[in-house]
Formats: sequence, C-alpha cells, structure tokens
Amino acid sequence: MIAVKNLTKSFDLSKKQQKEFGTKEKTVTAVDNVSFACQPGRVHALLGANGAGKTTTLRMLSTIFKPTSGLITINGIDVTKQPNEARKQIGFLTGSAGLYARLTPNELIDYFGKLYGVEKTTIEQRKNQLFDLLDMHEFKDKRIGKLSTGMKQKVSICRTMIHDPQVVIFDEPTSGLDVITAENIIHLIQNCKNEGKTVIFSSHIMGEVDLLCDDITIIHKGKVLFNDTMEAFRNQMVAPNLTAEFIRIVQQEKNN
Amino acid sequence: MIFTIFLKELKDTLRDKRTVRMMIIIPTLVLPLILSVVTKISHNFEKEAAEKPLKIGVVSNQNELLQELKNVPKTLGAKSFVYYKDSSSLKTDLKNDSIQIGFYVPTNVAELKEKMQPISITVFHNGADLGMQERADSYLDYIHDKWQKERYKKLKINESTINPIAKKYTNVASNQEMIGKIIGGFLPYLIISFAFMGCMFPAIDLFTGERERGTIETLLTVPVARWKILFGKMGVVVFSGLMASTFSFIGIYLSIEVFDFVENPEILAAIKDILSPAFIAMLYLLLLPLVVFFAGLMIVITVRAKTFKEAQSLLSPLNILVVLPAMSGLFPGFELNEMTAMIPIVNIVLATKELMAGTLEWHLVALSFGIMIVLAIGAVFLSYKKFESESTLIA
Repeated sequence: MIAVKNLTKSFDLSKKQQKEFGTKEKTVTAVDNVSFACQPGRVHALLGANGAGKTTTLRMLSTIFKPTSGLITINGIDVTKQPNEARKQIGFLTGSAGLYARLTPNELIDYFGKLYGVEKTTIEQRKNQLFDLLDMHEFKDKRIGKLSTGMKQKVSICRTMIHDPQVVIFDEPTSGLDVITAENIIHLIQNCKNEGKTVIFSSHIMGEVDLLCDDITIIHKGKVLFNDTMEAFRNQMVAPNLTAEFIRIVQQEKNN
Repeated sequence: MIFTIFLKELKDTLRDKRTVRMMIIIPTLVLPLILSVVTKISHNFEKEAAEKPLKIGVVSNQNELLQELKNVPKTLGAKSFVYYKDSSSLKTDLKNDSIQIGFYVPTNVAELKEKMQPISITVFHNGADLGMQERADSYLDYIHDKWQKERYKKLKINESTINPIAKKYTNVASNQEMIGKIIGGFLPYLIISFAFMGCMFPAIDLFTGERERGTIETLLTVPVARWKILFGKMGVVVFSGLMASTFSFIGIYLSIEVFDFVENPEILAAIKDILSPAFIAMLYLLLLPLVVFFAGLMIVITVRAKTFKEAQSLLSPLNILVVLPAMSGLFPGFELNEMTAMIPIVNIVLATKELMAGTLEWHLVALSFGIMIVLAIGAVFLSYKKFESESTLIA
C-alpha cells in the first residue's frame, strides 16, 4: 500500500532557471500538499498535463527525490526515514528509462537482482520465470544495444520485477512505444493487479487508464483536483468521455 | 555491494571501444611508435647528412689553405668544391641551396702563414640549414689545430707551457642520477598524462552517460546507499587511470626491449636497474592519490554534464591544467623542495623524478604524498556532495 499525506516538493531555482521560467521567485513548488492512497490489488492512475507534478510525485515515491514536507509510506515504511527498506518493496518502470547497452539481458537482470539483495538461486528462478513469461530466451545473451525496442522493453520489465516488488510504479511506461510493445506493459500491469500488488500508474493515454485503473488522482500545477475511484469519476462526468472530462476539469481549474 | 557495482561497471567499461583505446591500446603503442619513427627518421637523417657530399663554395686563389681544405679527412664528411670569383654569386647560390657552405679565403694566405699572423676566413652559411655552421667549424678546426702545432714546433714552444689550465672532468654522478635528472621528467609526464586520459572516458561514460542514457533513475531506486554506488563507479575510474599508466609503462618497456631505443649498454643497464619492483611500487603509491584526485574532480564535472559532448568540453580545460604541471619535470633545475612539494601534480612529478635519480628526500615525499591525500579526500567529498544532489543527478 502507498499512503501519501500532505506531500510537498519545492526546488531551488538558479538565476539561469529563473530566467528560463520567467520568474523572480527563488523556489518553485512542483508538488503542493498532495494526499492520496493506493491499495493492494488495485491500479491507481495519476493523471495530469505536462508539468503538473506527476513525475516529481512518482520520483518521491520511488525515493529518487526527498520530499520537502509531508509523508510517504510504502507498506508502512516511511520512505524518508528508511529509504533502502522502502526501495526493496518498489519496482520502478518509466518509458524514458534506458538500459546498459553493452550488457546482455542475462547480465543486467543478475546485476539488478544482486543490487536488490536477492539470493543467487532466487535470481535464477525468477529470471527463468520472467524469461519464459516474456519469451526472452532467444535474446537473453545478446547485447542490449543490439535489441529491438520491444525486446528492450521486455528487459526493462524483467529488471523491474526481478525482486518481486509489492509496489510497482509506472511513469508513462508506454510513452513512445509501438502498440505491440505497449501491450506487454498493459499485460504486466494487469498481472501485477491480479497478484495483489499495489500499482500506481501515470499516463497521457486515457484509453489505458479506462482499461486498467480502479482509482484516479488528477493533479494540476502540483495540486490535487480530483481523487477518488474510477467509478466515482465516471459518475460525476459532465463531458461525454474520459479525455473530454479530464480536459474539462483541468480547464475549469485554469479558469479559476 | 560496492564490489558488485565495481565489477559491473568494469565489465561495461571494458566493452566500450573508446575506453579500451584510451586505456590500453594508445598508452601501450604510442610511445614505441613515436620513438621508433623518431629514431628511424633521425638515424636516416644523420646517415644521409654524413654520406651526402657537401658542396662548398670557395672564393680563393690556389693556396695552401685551399689545399688543406681539400685534404680534410672524409671522416668529417664527404665534400666537393665549387669556385667563385666573388662572394656575391656565392651568397646567391647559398640561398638557392646549390652549395651548403661558403669560404672566403684571403689571397695572401702564404704570406700571413709565413709571418705567423692570423688568417681571417669568412664563413658563409644558411642559418636555416641546421648543422652546416658546425660542419664548417669542424673543417676549419682541423686545419687550425694542425697549423697551430706547426707554429709551436717552429717557435720551439712546448704546448703545455702555453695552456696554463688543463681541464680534466670527473663525473661523480651515477648513471641512475644522470638518467633521473636528465630524462626523469619524461616518465611522470607520460604516466600522469595517460592516467588522466585513462580516467576521462570512464568518468564521462559512468556518470554523464548514465544520465544521458536515462539509466540513472533506475539505479537510484535500488536499495543501495548512494555513496556505495559512487564508490563502485569511482573505483572503475581510478582503476582505468592506473591501468592506462601501467600500459604506458609497458609501452616504455617495449620501446627499450623491442625497439632498442637505448643503444648505450651502460645506460640501458642503469634504466633497467631504475625500473625495479621497488621503484614501481613506490611510483604507484605516489600515483594513487593523484588518480583518486583526478577521478573526484572528473566526477564533479561529469555528474553535472547532460551530454557526452558537454562533459568533454568541460573536461578539456582541466586536461590543460593537468598537462602543464605534468611537464614541470622536463624543465632542468626544477626540483622538489618545500615549496614545490605543496603544488599538486608538480609534487608527484618531481618526486617521481627524484625517485628515478635516487636522490629522494623522504620528508619532501611525505609532504607531497600528504598534500595529494588531502586533495584526493577533498575531491572525493566534493564528488559525493554532487552525486547526492538531486538537481545535478536528474535533469
């Protein structure tokens, strides 16, 4: 389970950044007093336009960034106080994440397994399970740099799941992928849900959200605009579809 | 965990062609190649210069001096003569390189010789044609010595009574000391330059590359403290720097053993004595804090850079800042003392030079080593602060 309470993240701006953003403020607040919770066995969508604060929120959940204030717990572990314990619970997958091109999938998965402190025999077991599931045996000993985008995405999935995380964070995981490769990700998310894992998922593709998600949080300029179940979201819809409704909510906030 | 990261990064690094080129191939081959080419060219040049007949222009009547010039032994170089009526056409031909030296000999040589008066000879040479003035001198010195002896004999003077001081040189320096002081600056220049270059590509690849490829985010989500990740990566940067130095050292050894760069057997034996296991161990001890210092500084820079190109352009000025002090050992008379021991890089270069010469003062070495240890710790601390920083790691 993920619990987020009054989460805030501010960044100091350099003079160069102040010029770039056209502001005289010395700090910028990317996430402002955000609260939500993600339950096991459910997929939670985190939606927002570009620059809304989604990635910053997910980076705080995955311990890459430290919150300025507020509390995040992953299965009851405070990520600020015990980041390494929290990291053991988390699998993190982004659409933009790269892989080590000069390693083979076999070597890469072994490496991440060791970094997560997984026993050697368990790594072998899980690696074989994942290679079977994702049909990776044919290219497991080829250099990653020589693999196709789809193959690389399978390697990324494998890397994310090697330590059998109970919480999985997906930051725009299908961004830039072709339909077939994106389908692998959709299946992975569904599997995670079926296995009772806690899944948080950010995307711009409303079709994926509609298909996968049980709960939804919409943020804009770092603030929460909507936070409830998908069912509640559909029930309150004024616009004819999810995309139109999302735009309507964000637009309404802009007008205010 | 540091070792796991080190091994993975080392494997990754050794599969990078650029790094392997900079770490192994260039340091091993560059010196033997340069030395073999330079030696071959200079040998050919010397041989050609010795064998090629020198065309000497002469403005002179038939006299004794001209005869003596013709009789100068061939061991001083083959020659042929071209005769001129005046010096202006001689100078024109000299400029055109039709002749290489010109002599203007007075017509009254016989008279001056008889009266035992000085005979003034004008030597024309082209200053851009190196070595010609010396060759002209060698001919005239030969005649000068011969005629001087004749005059002593004629005047019945004992040569030793004319020369009040007879110089006799006794060299108390050992071959090791001479090699150390004269060419000892070259070794640290080479190994420090290669150590820097050896560190450069792994530092860019393991830090900027991690950011550019987008792998840093996933690496930071693993349950490993960031300082451990940093140390694992830094270990590979340091290792690469030391390896590049080692291979440049192998290059020196190859030059000596395979390419017979050193022909004098005494000097060769002295060089082999210098390159003892104790010397190599001491050299690595001096080199280690320096390479850690390089690695720390490079990480501070490469962790900030967003692209490989940006990292390279940021590291280029640092390269100059390293190469210049690394050259300090090449300057004669520049030695390790309380002041130079305080200057980073220079202190290690000069300490290595003294080590080669066998004239090491241990308190100065300890001071140099201490300074570099402090700087290395400072650089590592700075790199840790930068690697910990959210804003520098994630764009």
